[in-house]
Amino acid sequence: MTMLWDKPEISRREFFEKCAEAGAKSFIFGGLVVTTANLLLAQDTQDTRARAEEAPVKGTKGPIYGFVVDTTKCIGCGSCVRACRDENNVPDGYNRTWVEQYTFFPNGEVIVNSPNGGADGFGEDLPNRNVPEEIGQLPVRGFFVPKLCNHCINTPCIQVCPVGASYVTKEGVVLVDQERCIGCGYCVQACPFGSRYINPETNTADKCTWCYHRITKGMLPACVQACPAKARIFGNVSDPNSEISQILANNRVQVLKSYLGTNPRTRYIGLDSEVI
Amino acid sequence: MVVQPMNSARHFIRLLALLSIAVAAFVKARSMVVPADFGKLGHFRASAITDAAAREPRHLGSAACAECHSDITGPWAAGKHHIPQCENCHGPGMLHVKVVSEDSVDKYPDPIKKYKNALRPTTGIQECKWCHLKTFERPAVLKFITSVSGHITAKGGTFTPKSKCTDCHNPHTTLVK
Repeated sequence: MTMLWDKPEISRREFFEKCAEAGAKSFIFGGLVVTTANLLLAQDTQDTRARAEEAPVKGTKGPIYGFVVDTTKCIGCGSCVRACRDENNVPDGYNRTWVEQYTFFPNGEVIVNSPNGGADGFGEDLPNRNVPEEIGQLPVRGFFVPKLCNHCINTPCIQVCPVGASYVTKEGVVLVDQERCIGCGYCVQACPFGSRYINPETNTADKCTWCYHRITKGMLPACVQACPAKARIFGNVSDPNSEISQILANNRVQVLKSYLGTNPRTRYIGLDSEVI
Repeated sequence: MVVQPMNSARHFIRLLALLSIAVAAFVKARSMVVPADFGKLGHFRASAITDAAAREPRHLGSAACAECHSDITGPWAAGKHHIPQCENCHGPGMLHVKVVSEDSVDKYPDPIKKYKNALRPTTGIQECKWCHLKTFERPAVLKFITSVSGHITAKGGTFTPKSKCTDCHNPHTTLVK
């Protein structure tokens, strides 16, 4: 039997050629194996997604948080936006939460407005407000929609982070690790809801945390505490007796951009089809 | 020059030596760059969760205000204006408590501390307009006015550019003075 060291001598050139050949072969073969395995496992992945609602984070017994926005109650005062800015030191011109004003006109036009995120309120009433001349009609209906991070179960933003700076806690809260974030902005582009921004002071990605520093101390998020209309409800959805569980059980709720399949934990009551 | 073919085993030994050095260097470099608790709970730094939870809350809630200002929060809680919290108009109270308890505020980089008592100054009109100015989209769940000047004139007063809601109303109880 010829052992490795008994084989006839080969030149260095020949040796490297054989190495390259073996490498290429194993690369192609390995790729085939991985692709086949992924296809075989794809069915399992689908099942996991279907179960995500009941057990959003595997192996947890603690609270799993949820957020309900009741658009029928929002009066557009902007208290939540100001409270969020003060609580989280959000720089001017950026918002972790904001309020959008929807105004519907008889000809089908919809005007969506959010001056300074709603932080200064929505002062001017019609007809003093600057309505485009071509519309020239009084609106037929309107409402306010507060927006914030949806804390999705299938997060596009965490998936794209190249350094593991974005993560989800066992309570289901999506957070950014300011120490690891390199500020590439990939997550800002990946979020379909515009919930993230690059903080100009730290040059890292920043977003709504559901006031993680407050909810872990038993307090409510700053926006929920500030809302005078009870349009924002926050709580533990894994407890069937909590306020939010009762609201979810007794209302028809919708999520933003459900067709994207991100499965948000932020739900909306009274969401109009025009709201994007 | 004649190229001497090497024994094939020596090729392997050399490559293995180079490879093991490279692997050792990579392992060492990785341990220096990647935090120790990275990957413990998932593809992230496990201690980032405690870092995020450690931040100090700034909005303390109206119950905290009542500890010192019960003369104001008493009528406020009993009156019609008990729904908006103290901090909705006055700004977050955390720094205020630190200032009045003579804790150093210099270690808190915050734009709010430039104000007197580290609370947001109130205008006596803007805070009211946030909620009580009529706009078409607003659900009619509270008392509205369509304009400040119109309201003052209708009540028999004289409107000036310096007129404020708090000229007539107590903002904490909404009662007319």
